[in-house]
Amino acid sequence: MTVEDHSPSRRTFLKESLLGVAVLSAAKVHPRLLLSDGVPAEVATQLHYFSGHEYMIVRAIAGCMVGRVPAETEDPIDAALRADQFLSTADEEVQDQIHQLLTAFNGPFFTFLFDFRFSSFLRMKPQDQDSYLEDWMTSTLAFRRKGFQALKRLTLSMYYTDRRSWATIGYHGMTPEVRP
Amino acid sequence: MIIRGTAITKPLRDSADVCIIGSGCGGGASAKVLAEAGRKVIVLEEGGYHTAADFDGNEETAYQNLYRQRAGQATSDLAVTVLQGRCVGGSSTVNWTTSLRTPEFVLEAWRRNFGVQGLSPKDLEPYFERVERYINVHLEPDSNHSPNNRIILDGARKLGYRAKAGGRNTRDCVKAGACGLGCPFDAKQTVDITYIPDAVRAGATVFADCRAERIDPSSRMKRVTGVVLDPLTNRPRTDFLIEAQVVIVAASAIHSPVLLLKSGLVNSSGQVGKNLTLHLTSAVLGLFDEDIYAGGGIPQSALCDEFLNKKGDGGGFWIEAVPAYPTLAALALPGFGASHRETMRLYPHIGASIVLVKEIDSVGRVMAGESGQPSIHYTVGRKDLAYMKHGLKIAAEIQFAAGAKEVMTLHARKIEFHSAAEIDRGLGSAGWDTNEVALYSAHPLGTCRMGADPHRSVVDSHCQAHDVKGLFVIDGSVTPTSLGVNPQITILSIAEKSAEWLAENFDRVV
Repeated sequence: MTVEDHSPSRRTFLKESLLGVAVLSAAKVHPRLLLSDGVPAEVATQLHYFSGHEYMIVRAIAGCMVGRVPAETEDPIDAALRADQFLSTADEEVQDQIHQLLTAFNGPFFTFLFDFRFSSFLRMKPQDQDSYLEDWMTSTLAFRRKGFQALKRLTLSMYYTDRRSWATIGYHGMTPEVRP
Repeated sequence: MIIRGTAITKPLRDSADVCIIGSGCGGGASAKVLAEAGRKVIVLEEGGYHTAADFDGNEETAYQNLYRQRAGQATSDLAVTVLQGRCVGGSSTVNWTTSLRTPEFVLEAWRRNFGVQGLSPKDLEPYFERVERYINVHLEPDSNHSPNNRIILDGARKLGYRAKAGGRNTRDCVKAGACGLGCPFDAKQTVDITYIPDAVRAGATVFADCRAERIDPSSRMKRVTGVVLDPLTNRPRTDFLIEAQVVIVAASAIHSPVLLLKSGLVNSSGQVGKNLTLHLTSAVLGLFDEDIYAGGGIPQSALCDEFLNKKGDGGGFWIEAVPAYPTLAALALPGFGASHRETMRLYPHIGASIVLVKEIDSVGRVMAGESGQPSIHYTVGRKDLAYMKHGLKIAAEIQFAAGAKEVMTLHARKIEFHSAAEIDRGLGSAGWDTNEVALYSAHPLGTCRMGADPHRSVVDSHCQAHDVKGLFVIDGSVTPTSLGVNPQITILSIAEKSAEWLAENFDRVV
């Protein structure tokens, strides 16, 4: 950020390094490195933008980002499903970029390339998923930090704009005594 | 009258004396002045028209209806989130009410370095006064400051720094804290409830949900073409053509240059889209024993401006409070996962102070992207980064002086201090590269700058383009430098003055 000269480039997501270009290209060649979906049927029928596989990736990312709730409690907020609704009306360019980012983030080829891990993000153990996200957040590669920011913004904004999250953080909306 | 896009069912064709693109501070004030001067005015606004009844105090609704890219607009590297309004009223509808005059040293620099005429402090004084009276700018009594603002007032004063109440444009404010989400009480004197209604009463027509895509000034009646958007899907429903003798571009420092570039206009200087300044902003968050509840109460009513232009180099920073709504807070907090969740659980106890840098050596630019949307590029200069670091240090000291037990910055990898003594070491170990620290802007400025020299500037001192007679840019684009204050009073005053000049000289410019 300080002294980098981000020369204006059209493809705005990952194309900021030679590696980024390679990742983008590979992600385009292999748009779906699919595993079995495991998407609940009631969710699958509601998806407009994500494939079932992508939904599962984003759901796992959201779980990491928000912080997993204890196993005995069920979080009513499905940030991934909200993200699907949000992205279904986004610009085509943004939609295209998110598809590519998810492919680059999850695919075993890329997890190996970036971190010498032999598993896709979805197949990692929870603690390894956290560690993998941490690697993206603190990477020396600018496009990975950028990818992390995109995923953080997408998932946390979908979670905390849902007012059901308010009770857990002690937020009550506008100053209560003046609420119309 | 104000016409929503849903009411436009077939291609729209109309004509006017003046077509204004954008309904924020620049466009709204221009519309009022020109309509009241007897001109037929059409205002085109890309965003929707929403009223107090639509404002429910929820971030989700507000970001969807009132903000550019649902509050997700950012530089191309995602390093700086650029918050802007996108609705009738523009950013005035979602700003936090701070109303400050342009500093004298800034106006003097414009005259000295860019040959700007007629915008000296003395020239602008009557416009400042008129604007402030019209939107009811006032200082809050001491008892009205929220705990989050008291942090700045009390903390800074304990340390011997200048801190004071800042002007606010409200009337009968109930201190709900919803300024950034649209005021449900019509207490905030925004452009959509002040200038626009007065312009409409004087005969102006406002078309909401209408995105201008091209200006063609080649004939006597300039042609503005674009699309009418479906407010739900944001997809084009039909198109429009407005013909006007004068066109005023007032779509903000991000979107005005893009429209001009797409139209191939007024860029003989090569300056359109360049010289972007943002008032680069970051923050410190303090944890207090007591409730701060930074998402409620008056969001912004105090500031510390001790360090603005202190070295006489035109740079520096100032510190203000920020309404930390849950999503804003969640995105700004360091890290992710369990530690993030634990910090969010402390939400009521978090105080938030922002540091805004008045840039002097950063380099910013807006370009037209392939899809026609802006592509924003920004590189932080070394001097400005030094001011940001200094500002975060001072803001952290202020938080501790006000009673914080722990203070953190917005670095992705958590940087926290447990006493003022730890600040220097903590900041010294922090990373400052792209996306290592969260950065924001709510004040993009300067991309069609004003000046006397057509080779170095885009518009003259009346905001008329050097290259095309009868084409004006009247918004935050025209400031030759960043301001060092929140910009709405500057933009409103320049708009009133420029529109007044246009009304008096209309026959000369067409």
